[in-house]
Amino acid sequence: MSYAYLFKYIIIGDTGVGKSCLLLQFTDKRFQPVHDLTIGVEFGARMITIDNKPIKLQIWDTAGQESFRSITRSYYRGAAGALLVYDITRRETFNHLASWLEDARQHANANMTIMLIGNKCDLAHRRAVSTEEGEQFAKEHGLIFMEASAKTAQNVEEAFIKTAATIYKKIQDGVFDVSNESYGIKVGYGGIPGPSGGRDGSTSQGGGCCG
Amino acid sequence: MSMEATELQDLSDDADYAASQQQGSASMMRSDSGKRSLQSEHEDAVLIYLKDNVAIHPTQFASERISGRLKLTKQDSVLFLSWIPYKGQTSNAKLSEKDRSLYTITAVPFTEVRSIRRHTPALGWQYVIVVLSSGLAFPPLYFYNGGVREFLAMVKQHVFLARSSEDQNVFIVNDFQSPLQRTLSSLELPSSLPVASGQSVYPLDGGSSSENQRRTSSDVGNRVSSVSQSGFRKQKSHDPTRDLSIHLLEKFSLVTKFARDTTTQLFSENNGFGSIDKRWNNQPVHSYPEKLSNIAEEKHHEIRHSYSENDLLKDDEISYIDVPADPLEFDKLSLMWGKPRQPPMGHKERRNDISPSIKCRISTEYFTALLDSEGRVVESKALRERVFYGGIEHQLRREVWPFLLGYYAYDSTYAEREYLRSVKRMEYATLKQQWQSISPEQAKRFTKYRERKGLIDKDVVRTDRAFEYYEGDDNLHVNSMRDILLTYSFYNFDLGYCQGMSDYLSPILFVMEDESESFWCFVALMERLGPNFNRDQNGMHTQLFALSKLVELLDSPLHNYFKENDCLNYFFCFRWILIQFKREFEYEKTMQLWEVMWTHYLSEHFHLYVCVAVLKRCRSKIMGEQMDFDTLLKFINELSGHIDLDSTVRDAEALCIEAGENGAASIPPGTPPSLPLDDGTLYPQEDDVL
Repeated sequence: MSYAYLFKYIIIGDTGVGKSCLLLQFTDKRFQPVHDLTIGVEFGARMITIDNKPIKLQIWDTAGQESFRSITRSYYRGAAGALLVYDITRRETFNHLASWLEDARQHANANMTIMLIGNKCDLAHRRAVSTEEGEQFAKEHGLIFMEASAKTAQNVEEAFIKTAATIYKKIQDGVFDVSNESYGIKVGYGGIPGPSGGRDGSTSQGGGCCG
Repeated sequence: MSMEATELQDLSDDADYAASQQQGSASMMRSDSGKRSLQSEHEDAVLIYLKDNVAIHPTQFASERISGRLKLTKQDSVLFLSWIPYKGQTSNAKLSEKDRSLYTITAVPFTEVRSIRRHTPALGWQYVIVVLSSGLAFPPLYFYNGGVREFLAMVKQHVFLARSSEDQNVFIVNDFQSPLQRTLSSLELPSSLPVASGQSVYPLDGGSSSENQRRTSSDVGNRVSSVSQSGFRKQKSHDPTRDLSIHLLEKFSLVTKFARDTTTQLFSENNGFGSIDKRWNNQPVHSYPEKLSNIAEEKHHEIRHSYSENDLLKDDEISYIDVPADPLEFDKLSLMWGKPRQPPMGHKERRNDISPSIKCRISTEYFTALLDSEGRVVESKALRERVFYGGIEHQLRREVWPFLLGYYAYDSTYAEREYLRSVKRMEYATLKQQWQSISPEQAKRFTKYRERKGLIDKDVVRTDRAFEYYEGDDNLHVNSMRDILLTYSFYNFDLGYCQGMSDYLSPILFVMEDESESFWCFVALMERLGPNFNRDQNGMHTQLFALSKLVELLDSPLHNYFKENDCLNYFFCFRWILIQFKREFEYEKTMQLWEVMWTHYLSEHFHLYVCVAVLKRCRSKIMGEQMDFDTLLKFINELSGHIDLDSTVRDAEALCIEAGENGAASIPPGTPPSLPLDDGTLYPQEDDVL
């Protein structure tokens, strides 16, 4: 299927916060509580539409355990968006956000859009991190923020799409040189305004990048 | 840059070097240098640090340690690190020059170094691990006379070195926070670096292997250092790549002879493989396509012949060429030797008209025939060979796995094993008691325990839950898995628990069906594979490094492709190696593959040859579609469930035989699943291990 852009996303965060479940909810619209734990990285993909343009999201779902950090770092390369996930019922997963963020800042491109997700918001009775704290952290670090639930699907769609919309806006604003794939954006066939509707960024792209 | 070439000569006639061997001299630091050889011939390369008696420990044997000299040099404002082993320093004949040059680090620019990890244990030698930005890591460098701190201080004077916020023993090189600075620093890189990342240990010249071939014909016997027009270092006296090419020429003449003579008996000795091994150690290179394909034809016939004689199999049961047709596949013939698999051990003896319980007994009887009257395995090699070529009937696994894993000794008697089981059962109970006796009050004050337990609790319910044995709520087997993992994390508190362990434990528990027995089998497996889960991932890096060396040896076009596309870290094979293909095959097939690998029949590192076999099969697709790192990773991930086990194992066998001693020499000693190097502590870890 043709797309105007392909965005690479990476999902990061401590083990057991629900990264794979968020992905599955987004790509397959189902919740599978007994998903096998992720070793290395798993992939998912879905097509969405932004500004009437088909956009393909290629999503990298990573293993969360500390020991695998050195491998996970190699996955940041060329990601346009990141979902940084914590579990609102486990305080420590929130406390580790700073270290995840530092990894992302160090190994991803500086313009990567980061969405902070407080997952498992259906478990409000076991909440250990308040919404305000999440908001505050996001604000301090320039992240977009949402609480979501992979189980009830609340805000899952929104989180992925809002991230894409932000990236799309950055393209429109000329923040990215879309011909440079290290930004995690590929230009696809069709859907691109401009004289040749070019591929691979060899021709001018909508939004007038780089000037 | 012929600096490295000079270094070699430097070593042989350097008076300092000789002196340092005698007395183990302390480090010398110079900001400038009167170092004759460097200074006189290379005005721009400045020696800034030199440390003698820095060693690597390829194996646990003290006699096989390799001492050498660590140097920092600076040229055109780039800092280079090199480590050159001393010549003729040890009397151990096992350590050939090839072994030495395998480990030689020739002038790695710090622009390619990602981090340096230091280990300064209270007891034992200090060492550092240098990790390249490609993700590859060099073996630990032991500072026999101390001085890690001074070394790092010296590095810090010349490159930007930042202490990792996560681990105070890790120093990140050139780690600029600001993108602007990062850009600036990349602009300062010299346009051509002397060695590509990951290549330095096993120096390659600038040319392709076919080029190497051609050149070799005129270079034979003229083993002197030379500098090519491009300025790249070409040959040096102990360049293994060069040795390979010379071997290749020799091989070609043998091959021609080999193809002319019909030598069926060559195949009949030692299953036909030992002799091929000697003649076909090396990969034919694509500069000789027609010749090779003819040879391939002839060889093909011979092999068919020998198979039909030796294995009593019908011709049409054997598929010789499994790889897809591809112009690049001139090495097809290398994939023809994998012997067809036999039915699993215990299978032939079965009859279909008897009840399952009797089948089981008969399988056991087959195994019993391999034992003497007191229960010793008469010939462990025969057992391992039988398993290697066909696996084990499921009912029999419970008997055989403990031997393969090393929990039972092959020469133990029935009585001794019975005794072992009872002793180990008590020991397991005691170990388990350690965490079971932790009261809630104590747990409150025991964060590490709580974290581990939390992690294990979460993971056991995410392990093979689709598999019948582990499905459903409150599954007793899942509880056993949790208890075993938690007990193991106390038994081996330093290593603790790491994700992936449950993937190993699941089939073991399914096969052994007994908690204590499963625990001890798991312990035995972790003796070899524990390093896969080390926090610094050193065991994984070593294996990925060895894999890159094997691909270089067995499939140079693919190696060159990975090199050009910045894929040499082999992270795309991470999952394969971490849990030995557990996620790539269905459950039963995984158990088959594991028991084949655990025989260590052809190689302890058979799993790496399996990796090469799969990569080789996909090579035309990978290269044809010009996959980049991301695409490759995704592609490899998606191979899961689509790999044919039997043909892959046969290919791996063929590759392993083909690689022969060169293959073994490509794998640094101590690489898991070899038993770990004995440096006193089994899992030297500093802090924060979950």
